Formats: sequence, C-alpha cells, structure tokens
Amino acid sequence: MTTKRGLITDSFKVVKKARNGVKREKRPTPPPPPQKEPETETVREEELQRLTHFDLNWIFGPCTGISRLQRWERAKLHGLSPPEEIRDLLLQTHTDPEYNLSLWSEYPL
Amino acid sequence: MFSDISAQKEASSLLCRPASEDQGPVFERTSLAYSLCSERYTVGERSFSRQYAHIYAARLMQMRPLLSERAQQKWGQDVLIRKLCDLETGEQCCIVGTLFKRMELQPSILKEISEEHNLLPQPARAKYISETDELILEDELQRIKLEGKIDRDKFVTGSVIAIYGAEKNDGKFTVEDFCMADLPPQTPRPALSSDRFVLLVSGLGLGSSHADSMLGLQLLVDMITGQLGDQGEQSGAATISRVLLAGNLLSQSTQDKDASTKPKYLTKKTQAGSVEAIRLLDELLCQLVASVPVDVMPGHHDPTNYTLPQQPLHRCMFPLSSVYPTLQLVSNPHQAKIDGVRFLGTAGQNVCDIQRYSSMDNHLEILEETLRLRHLAPTAPDTLGCYPFYQKDPFILEECPHVYFSGNAPTFESKLIKGPDGQEVLLVTIPHFSSTQTACLVNLRTLSCEPVSFSAFSADDDEESVMNVSH
Repeated sequence: MTTKRGLITDSFKVVKKARNGVKREKRPTPPPPPQKEPETETVREEELQRLTHFDLNWIFGPCTGISRLQRWERAKLHGLSPPEEIRDLLLQTHTDPEYNLSLWSEYPL
Repeated sequence: MFSDISAQKEASSLLCRPASEDQGPVFERTSLAYSLCSERYTVGERSFSRQYAHIYAARLMQMRPLLSERAQQKWGQDVLIRKLCDLETGEQCCIVGTLFKRMELQPSILKEISEEHNLLPQPARAKYISETDELILEDELQRIKLEGKIDRDKFVTGSVIAIYGAEKNDGKFTVEDFCMADLPPQTPRPALSSDRFVLLVSGLGLGSSHADSMLGLQLLVDMITGQLGDQGEQSGAATISRVLLAGNLLSQSTQDKDASTKPKYLTKKTQAGSVEAIRLLDELLCQLVASVPVDVMPGHHDPTNYTLPQQPLHRCMFPLSSVYPTLQLVSNPHQAKIDGVRFLGTAGQNVCDIQRYSSMDNHLEILEETLRLRHLAPTAPDTLGCYPFYQKDPFILEECPHVYFSGNAPTFESKLIKGPDGQEVLLVTIPHFSSTQTACLVNLRTLSCEPVSFSAFSADDDEESVMNVSH
C-alpha cells in the first residue's frame, strides 16, 4: 500500500541527489570540449571528405573490399600517381576504421 | 635427340656375356641449376571477401601501357588513343579495353535458380558459343558493342586488346583492326654445351579403373631411373635431368560425389578413393625422386584448392617421397628456371576453358593465343575459378618463357614460335598419360621436343612394342 502512495523516487533520495550533484559538478567541465569539438570535428569531416573523394575517383579502380591504403598502393604500383597527402593522412590515422576503410565498407558484399 | 643418344652404342650390351664379374658402367645423371620462380603464384593471405572487379581493374591497369605502346607501333605514333567516355561518333581512333563476350549458352546460376523461368539445369556442353553471341569492349567506365573485322567466336571474355576503328551512328563500334599485347620481353637462354632433357608428363590418372595404364607408367619410371634397355638407353636416361608432372596425378574417378549424397551411416566405413591413389602416387614418386629431381604440379582432379593458382600438394600426403630433397611440390601454374631455360605452364585448365568458350579447338593454337594475349588465363575469373586478387593480376606474363606448356591435352603437339623481338618459345601440349601413354622430352640445348610413347598394349596402337621406345 505504501508503495502505491509514494513515488519511487522517495525511497531513493540519496541516489538521486548524488546524481544531481555529479551532473552539476560536471557541467562546468564539459564546456571546453564542446568549444574544441567543432574545430576537431570540422578537421575530421574535412579529412573524411577528402578520403571519400579519393574513394570515388574511378581512375584508381574499385574501392570495395580493400582498405584505402591497399587501394592507394595498387594505384601507385600501376603508375597512376595517387595523391601523396592521402597516404600521409591514412598512415597517421591507420587505427581508425572510419579512415582506413572505404566509403562502402559498412555495406555487405 | 634422345633417340640418337640412346642408340650411340652399336653393339648391344644385352645379348652378350657379362663383361666381367664387377659392376657395369655407371652413368652419372647430369644435374642442373634450378630456381623456382613461382612466388607470384603462391597465395599468402586468403581473403575471399573481395569482389572480382579488382582483378579486372588491375588487369586493365597493367595492360593499358603495354597495349598503348603496341598500338602506337602498329598504327603510328600519332594514333588517337581514346577512352570510351571521350569517344565521338565517326572519329577514327584506338581504344584499349577488356573484352566481354555475351553468350546465350553460358551457364548462369541466376538463370537456373530463377523461379519465374523454372527451367531445368542446362546440360553440360562441349562448346558454349552460338550465333547470337555479342562481343563487347569495356574500359574503366563504359562498354561498347563491337562489329566489323574481329572474329567474334575466337575471342574470349577477359582478354585485354586494343582495337582501331570508329563508332557508327547506331552506337556500335566498327573494328577495322585490332592488336594484342604479343610476347613479353625475353632474357636470352644460355648456350648449353651438351644435350640435357626435361621430361614432361601429365595426367597420370592414378586410381582409375583402367589398370592397363599402370604398365606404361611403370615402364616410364623404369626408363627414367635407368632400369630399362641396354647401356645406350641407360646413358640416354642419365641425360634426363628433371621430371615435371603437370597435374591430374589422380584420376577423375577418385572424386566420387557419393559422400555428399549418401547418408552418413552408409559411407562411414568407406575410404575416399583418393586415399589409395595418393598412396600409389607416393610409392611411384619414391622410385622417381630417389634417382631424379621431380616437380609435382597439382591439376584439376588433385587434392588441393580448386581455384587458380592451385597451391602445392601438401607434403604430409607423401610420407615416403617427401623425405627426399629432390621432390619439389609446386603450384599450378608453375614457373621455374632450369639451367637458364625458363619453363612456364599449367595443368591445362586454362586451355580447356578457352576451348569451351571459343571456336578454337586445338590446344596448341589456344596455347599460342594466350601467349599472344600475354595472359595465362583470360577466362579467369569469369568461367574459370580464380583467387580474388586485388593488387596485381599474376596471370599476366611479365617475362617470356622459353618453354610454355599445358598439360592434359588430348594429343602431343609442339611448335617453336618466334616473337617480334626475337623471342623463341617452344610450345608443348603434354598429352594425358593415362590415355595416350605418352610423355614429352624437351631438349634444353636445342629447344626441341619429342614424344616418348609406351603404348604397348593399348587398343588403338598395335605397332609399337614395349622395348622399342618410339621417338
């Protein structure tokens, strides 16, 4: 009966307060990232844009199923002079799947 | 040739009293410098997640510069080389691209499973060409139908060629002339001082029900190991410095499909036919490798991967013979330099596949055609199984071989052809040993080839006797 009357939050006051406290404390700190993020985000977007352009350049052959670096190296091997900055970018960011896999990598074969 | 060497001693050493109590003469087998050049046919990582678009793209990337150069040689330095996307109607130009032959009769899995048609599976045919076939040229972006002076039936899908002509108003390209990449550059072979032979055999067909081929096979082994004939023959056998088994060591009948269709409790105790055949092969190889270096290539019916390039058979299948360093288990296609003479060839799948999809019938003719196209297996991956390469097409010939062979042909044929830049290539089609009882001997000094037949008791051949090893 008592449970029906009271709100569930009544019996968990401490927890709720603690959460509120944490949120309030954190609020001052997050602002720096949002300020920085737009900048890194635009850099990232611009880089990904460049890589997408590389993917869509038909001269270097099909891009599905192989990594961007593999495609770059194939193009180099056959003397198609792919842009060097793409390779530099790929080598810098080789751990990030969003960078090293092609535009269509999410799609099943 | 081999027969002359064998017959150099006039007095036969067989029908006479033994000269003395001690051993007869010992013939030292000539050993040759040998280097395997098959790295390009070994597949390291095996990723099948790629599509075949890459292999066609890489093929065109590799062939385009070669063909542009050939086109300029043939039609003048100022010939207009266009991409299909820049093509203008009525303009005389040259286009480099990959051929595609649209074939009505080509078996298609999609056609067979489509429920709308509800067709019966098409029967296997010897030839899939028909009157309605169309030849189409593709480059990186577009395709165009071809007509005019180009033999539609002869060409196969996947060949990269350069065509010369003009596009007509109906959107078709009228071909006036075409050119192929022709023979790749060749390093000259060293001049050898004496006759040395390499024996090529294919299609041993072990494990088949025809036991009569076993006699021929044993005679072959005895001839190579010098246990046949008189001293002249034995000294001749000593000049055979290497044996190359070009695929289909096992017979097709070892590949019984029962295991997949029969219930398991029925096949539980039966052994695969290939087990016994491999054991037989091991015993046979053991006799050979104790005396002569042997290259063993897998073929269509052998227990390795199906797709080209076929990887070498595994050593553990040959417990007896694999302890000898003279046993070389190699890939198919196989490339090796024997005493400076470059050998390249396959077990014959590429040739048989082209035979099915073009009007050419003669294996030697097809072999020459692949050399002129500068591609070992143009129909891979279309109608011939092939690993999905992405970086390079390993079947493009980068260096011209001196001996170019294909196994499992119906008959023995050989021909010496000359390339435009002075290349010399011996083409050899190695016949099925199990049906023809014939092997081929290639002389490394003169680049000539002769068949050695052991068909003593075969039905169609009654003149040749066992001891008269015909040449």
